[in-house]
Amino acid sequence: MNTFKLSASALALTVAASSAFAEIDEAWWKSAAEPYQGVTIRGVTESSPPSLYIREVLAPEFEELTGIRVDIETTSWDQMFDKAIKDMEAGTGIYDMAYIEQDIIYSYLARDFLTDLTQLLADNPDLKAATYDESNFTTFADYFKDSEGHLYGVPMEAFLKVYLYRTDLFEDPEIREAFKEKTGRDLEPATNHADYAEIAQFFTAYGEENDMDLWGTTAQAHTGHVASWYEYWESVAPTFGVYNWGINADENYGSSVANGGEMNGPEAVEAMQWWLSMRDIAPPESPASTWTEVGTTFGAGRVAQGLVYGENAGWIAADESKSLVVGKVGVALPPLAEGVLEEVEAGEGYIGYYDGGAFGLPHSSKNKEATALFLQYIGQNEVQPDWAVAAPRVTNTATYDDPKVVEFNKELGGYYDLIKDKGYLFAGAPAYPFHAQVREATAPIFYQILTGNLGVQEGLDQMAATAEATLTELGYRE
Amino acid sequence: MKKQNPIIGIVFWSLVSFLTLFPIYWLFVISVKPVVQLFSTPELILTDPYWGNYAKVWGDRLLRSYMLNSVIISTGNAVLCTILGFFACYALSRFKMSGKESIFFWTITNRMAPPAVFLLPLFLLMTQVYAVGEWNLLDTRIGMILVYCTFNLPFAIWTLRPTLDGIPKELDEAAYVDGASSWKVITEVVFPLCRPGLAVTLILTWVFAWNEYLLAATLTNFNARTLTTGLSEYVTTTGTEWGVMATISVFTLIPALIVFGLVQKHIVAGLTFGAVKG
Amino acid sequence: MQSKRLGWILLAPTLVILFFFGVLPFFYVVFVSFHSWNPFAVNPEMVFNGADNFRQIVFDPAFLHSIGVTVMFVFFAVVSELILGYILAQAFMRDFPGKAIFRTIHTLPLIMAPIIVGSVWKLMTTPSIGIIPHYLDEWFGITMNIGTSAPAAFATIVLMDVWHWTPLVTLTLIAALVSLPPDPFEQAQIDGAGKRQIFWHITLPMIAPAVVATVFIRLMDALRTVDEVWMLTGGGPGSATRFVGVHIFKEVFPKTNYGYGSTISVIVLYLTIVSCWLLYVTMLAPRTKRD
Repeated sequence: MNTFKLSASALALTVAASSAFAEIDEAWWKSAAEPYQGVTIRGVTESSPPSLYIREVLAPEFEELTGIRVDIETTSWDQMFDKAIKDMEAGTGIYDMAYIEQDIIYSYLARDFLTDLTQLLADNPDLKAATYDESNFTTFADYFKDSEGHLYGVPMEAFLKVYLYRTDLFEDPEIREAFKEKTGRDLEPATNHADYAEIAQFFTAYGEENDMDLWGTTAQAHTGHVASWYEYWESVAPTFGVYNWGINADENYGSSVANGGEMNGPEAVEAMQWWLSMRDIAPPESPASTWTEVGTTFGAGRVAQGLVYGENAGWIAADESKSLVVGKVGVALPPLAEGVLEEVEAGEGYIGYYDGGAFGLPHSSKNKEATALFLQYIGQNEVQPDWAVAAPRVTNTATYDDPKVVEFNKELGGYYDLIKDKGYLFAGAPAYPFHAQVREATAPIFYQILTGNLGVQEGLDQMAATAEATLTELGYRE
Repeated sequence: MKKQNPIIGIVFWSLVSFLTLFPIYWLFVISVKPVVQLFSTPELILTDPYWGNYAKVWGDRLLRSYMLNSVIISTGNAVLCTILGFFACYALSRFKMSGKESIFFWTITNRMAPPAVFLLPLFLLMTQVYAVGEWNLLDTRIGMILVYCTFNLPFAIWTLRPTLDGIPKELDEAAYVDGASSWKVITEVVFPLCRPGLAVTLILTWVFAWNEYLLAATLTNFNARTLTTGLSEYVTTTGTEWGVMATISVFTLIPALIVFGLVQKHIVAGLTFGAVKG
Repeated sequence: MQSKRLGWILLAPTLVILFFFGVLPFFYVVFVSFHSWNPFAVNPEMVFNGADNFRQIVFDPAFLHSIGVTVMFVFFAVVSELILGYILAQAFMRDFPGKAIFRTIHTLPLIMAPIIVGSVWKLMTTPSIGIIPHYLDEWFGITMNIGTSAPAAFATIVLMDVWHWTPLVTLTLIAALVSLPPDPFEQAQIDGAGKRQIFWHITLPMIAPAVVATVFIRLMDALRTVDEVWMLTGGGPGSATRFVGVHIFKEVFPKTNYGYGSTISVIVLYLTIVSCWLLYVTMLAPRTKRD
């Protein structure tokens, strides 16, 4: 299986799993599950290491403990949404658990697809496990709460899109000297865009001079896949001070500057120009790269630095079967424009993407009680540490301090510390119930900017106009 | 059959075969490379193969059940479509029925539909209408066999029609004169004569069903998932597992090759049949 | 002599299956196409909006563009497949050593799923790392980047389709060629007809039904192409390979624009039927009448 590290350390995991098992109150789980013997609960999820860990480790463990069978269907990203939505929309009841990516939760809540887990457990005290507590989760769980603080999904993965750089290159004395000679300053991870660009240019030139397959930056700039759209709006634009895709929810969802938005404002233009200039000196595969290829490019040692999704940061830094740069990876905060950090510290924005997902319980489920048990099971502190090592993600606060996780954090170049200490600077997708709709409507124009068929200003103008038209059509904008 | 200089034939076909085989060879190369090597400079010649992906795929019990589902669904569908297509073509070619040419043309329109938008009504029909009590057609092998008829049955009818039209009606009539029943004429006189056409139809419908992805991905969940949907599980957030995908693909080629091997004989038989008839 | 009833009985199973799995869903799509319906709009219900969707589609540049590139793709792909397929089928009519092996090899691409074909070609053509761009650069100094060059992406998809589907054309044409009676050819040769004359006046008319059937199948399958393109370019660069199948897919799946997506589908289906019908009537129907 493609579970991160799972195949390599299956034995270690089994041992570890049984030790976690001991801490859990077996008798309680058995008696709580008594009425649901023979029940099979079914979930659908995106094929990702944390999901595969659930399928391969947690589900069998739970079945052994309680006699409730758990089937997890893992499928591709686009298929997963479609299937879950069809099922919940039609009320078929195929799935008892649906993966909710952070960016779709607002759509699901708006349609009232999901069961209020807080309420369900309050109404059924018999089902409430002593080892499960909503306050165990990190703040990431807040994304899955409604205005009253009720939880609608048990977080199962959480990542930051971080700035990764190659420590071996950044610390190489010869390279440092060459860099200093060229630029007059020391080679350190960049904190602003100009520095980042300078480092990128240096390494791309360095690769060319030395006939190496090395470039200065990654770029998730696919010209036909929404990955590029996401990199720009979620990871680049915010570092220039453009938040929430430049759509102003307080101003009737205005997107263009004329209507109170920022989608085509000067900051957005500057961000796009900067990003495109980085794309141009990134490896040649970048215009055909989604998040997966960016990870692979970094893992293959083809770039010196770049913005990489956290779920990839794990294997890039630590999995030798996939990555050529194990132990040579450092993490840092993304480069920022002047004033952005202050703005974010003051609570007015964010500097990058806090991504992740949870398992929710659709209203249409026919096995709510049994599912509630399983959701609590995977939400317990006790099962987290092994999970965090097998598939780098942290959803519970206590997990950070577990010895196994502390040890693993070193391998990851301090990635978990970054989430723990700086996670508050990042944010999930804006609270839009029209997430996918506006994204898809504007993406074709966005690709035209990437291919150069549209100028930056012209393209962003069109995107803002299209976003407003789509929002009007959907009824959000009046 | 004509004779020609064998060298020209061999050179020509070697060239064509090289172009045909290269992507398949490359698929194999990908399947025996560890992930770390995939994104480095490509080497044309394979050295030092890595069999880890094969061990992984072979040991995966889910994939084995997907394989079984694929075999059952595509074989069931191909046989069903070939037989029904044969009956339909016999009717269309032998009987004077009003509007039969329109019906013939209409059948093919079923294959023209852009599939994406038909998934929703199919989902609703299969879960809510084609259901008895708790049981419904969604996520069942029989359901997939029937759904695949929408594109394979028209195909069967269209490829079999010329074959049936090509068989002289005098043959049927002679058999009727000898006192054979309609059933006997169809199954014992006409059917054997159609063997090459039937073989080609069977092969191709099987291949279409075997390779179908979108419908299977949407209309199956746990019980009837096919190999092609299994492939999509390896397109993960943390990197597509190209090696494993390629390995599964190599595995999907094997049953297809067996089917081809079995049916090719009949195509070859068809070749001789053509010669004998002349 | 034979009763029509038997004819209908033989046709019945086909009609029943196609009705329940083809016609009923089609009616539903037609029904939805007269509504605005996006489950994530403020009003998630289906709302009847008359012919609005159909009016919108006429002026929808994205849709018209997708039709344009699709037609180009279908034209290049199907014509190349037909010519190549015929040449290969004729070549297979001769005898040469190792024929059985070569025939098996030639059918291999067919048994690969489109999604696999898309994956392999994606890996072969990944800019700078894939084997094709790599050796094009190393041997000929040509830069090929399907992420930035629309012609490169388009040509790759046509080439991939030709590679994948020419064997289908070859197979059906072989089936047609082997069942040709040899008499007219012998007669023509005795009469001193040239190769070209034989092809245009004897071979082509006789295999025309098979050719048309093959063209039909390829035409409609090429029009529906999604999987390979989805894997290879996702419709890019820009909208260069956003074929109508991909366009509908994006409209219906991620955008959940069920109403308008249905309208596009109905129109595309209508256009396909009309063009196939024209082809059918001009190429095939006169011949059947002559019989």
